[in-house]
Amino acid sequence: MTQRRSYAVGTGLFIVLGFAALAYLATQTTSVANTHRGSTYDVTTRFANVGQLKVRAPVKVAGVRVGSVESIDLVPGKEEARVTLAIDDGHKDIPQDSVATIYTSGLLGDQYVGIQFGQSKTPVKEGGEIGLTRPAQQLEEMLGKFFGGGSAPDRLGGTFHVTGDFTNIGGLQPGAAVKMAGVPIGSVESVVVKPGAVEATVTLAIDKRYSQIPNDSAAAVFTSGLIGSQYVAIQPGGSPEYLADGDSLVLTQSALQLEDLIGKFLVNGSPSDNKNGNAQGGAQPDNAGKK
Amino acid sequence: MTTRDDNVVTRSLAQIGACGIFGLTILRAIPRSMRHGRETIRQIWFVGAMSLTIVMTCGLFVGMVLGLQLYDVLSIFGGTSATGTVVAIAIYRELGPVVTALLFAGRAGTSITAEIGLMRATDQLDAMEMMAVDPVAYVAAPRFLAGVVALPLLAIVFCAMGVFGGHLVGVTWLGIDNGTFWSNMTASVDVHKDIVNGVLLKSVAFGIVVSLIAVFQGYTTPPTSEGVAYATTRTVVASSIAILALDFVLTSFLI
Repeated sequence: MTQRRSYAVGTGLFIVLGFAALAYLATQTTSVANTHRGSTYDVTTRFANVGQLKVRAPVKVAGVRVGSVESIDLVPGKEEARVTLAIDDGHKDIPQDSVATIYTSGLLGDQYVGIQFGQSKTPVKEGGEIGLTRPAQQLEEMLGKFFGGGSAPDRLGGTFHVTGDFTNIGGLQPGAAVKMAGVPIGSVESVVVKPGAVEATVTLAIDKRYSQIPNDSAAAVFTSGLIGSQYVAIQPGGSPEYLADGDSLVLTQSALQLEDLIGKFLVNGSPSDNKNGNAQGGAQPDNAGKK
Repeated sequence: MTTRDDNVVTRSLAQIGACGIFGLTILRAIPRSMRHGRETIRQIWFVGAMSLTIVMTCGLFVGMVLGLQLYDVLSIFGGTSATGTVVAIAIYRELGPVVTALLFAGRAGTSITAEIGLMRATDQLDAMEMMAVDPVAYVAAPRFLAGVVALPLLAIVFCAMGVFGGHLVGVTWLGIDNGTFWSNMTASVDVHKDIVNGVLLKSVAFGIVVSLIAVFQGYTTPPTSEGVAYATTRTVVASSIAILALDFVLTSFLI
């Protein structure tokens, strides 16, 4: 009988040890916050781009978790994502005019929704919407800002198209940025050579927000940095008339080829581009001055 | 039963089928085996508590070697603070349940097979039937139940020791910050996905499979000393294959 009793005690100890270890694993090595499903209220937001945001991703205010992403779906008929956030009931005081932004934790981390408080005294209601959002920053776009011509802005506002003829577009690709004063205002829609023409016709899609561009503006193909990608820079003219959809830019400056530039240093002059001589006014006098 | 001149496929299929039928027999016998509750507790002691030493030692070393390897690799990317996270997730999701089940098959499964096999070889099972004691309810079902109860508990202890081992190497030896180690771990490990679905569900499934195979091999062994030896070997081989194959199938459903 004592033999039996010792088995029972030992077995009981073993089972208690097992459950104690389970309690240890569940409480000490996982976060209660990960599974906290207290009562929450829903707030919707709309983003132009949610990037890699996933359902159950955290929602943070000042870096502190206040809720999680409930659902992500598409606004019907629009190129917009509707993200529903489940905010814990303990955080009822988020101002109506707060800004929701999709952040990435670290360079390669998961994405989360960060909320920056606005000034409003009225908190956002249950089922309400946070109207101001900033979409996910794509790593490619961020790198593009460093190395390339900058990112093309999102096109929620719609675009209008203008064309420009260039004798040489260098490595310009469709999708490259169009910049004015260094600010991306649109993107290159297409690069084609018309049959029978010797010039490349570049179609630029410019955001409607930037509609007040003088119609005598010049377009130039620039390279950002030594090895950066190429982009189209718009240099505003002085005309009171504005560019309209379908207009073409008359003054264009083609891409400068690195080989040409080096040639100018080495042999003090290169075969000049007679065809486009007028448009390359910037480069030509410089060249003449050296001679 | 199978005969010698069947080919491998037919023999394996017959074994699997007979094992499944035997499993149903055990399930039917479980209510009756409750009268022998003390026997079940004795078996939990033998297969569970007696396996604690090996499981805890192995868990500690698995956690330690994981911590060492991960620290070495992660230091290339400057991400040594993730050591705790990866140790915990790897152990919870895969190594804990799988390695514990393999150890359990080797330590407890073989002893169950050998014990029941010897009972068969020495006609003890037949004697029980003569005395109107159902050997499935008195011998097979308690051992099966004990395995199903003991393996998840052992797997949990293994996981706890593994995390402790990872902490020992990572923090105490290699100098990862203690707070970073734990907070990164708690931030990434999920109770539902990693512990319930990882450790518990998998180890219960492995417990059922390993115990069933061990009891079945012992119960159907040819009543010779050679037969018992073969049955013991088959328990380890069949359990290992079943554990690893089932692990893949379960993971693909759970992930």
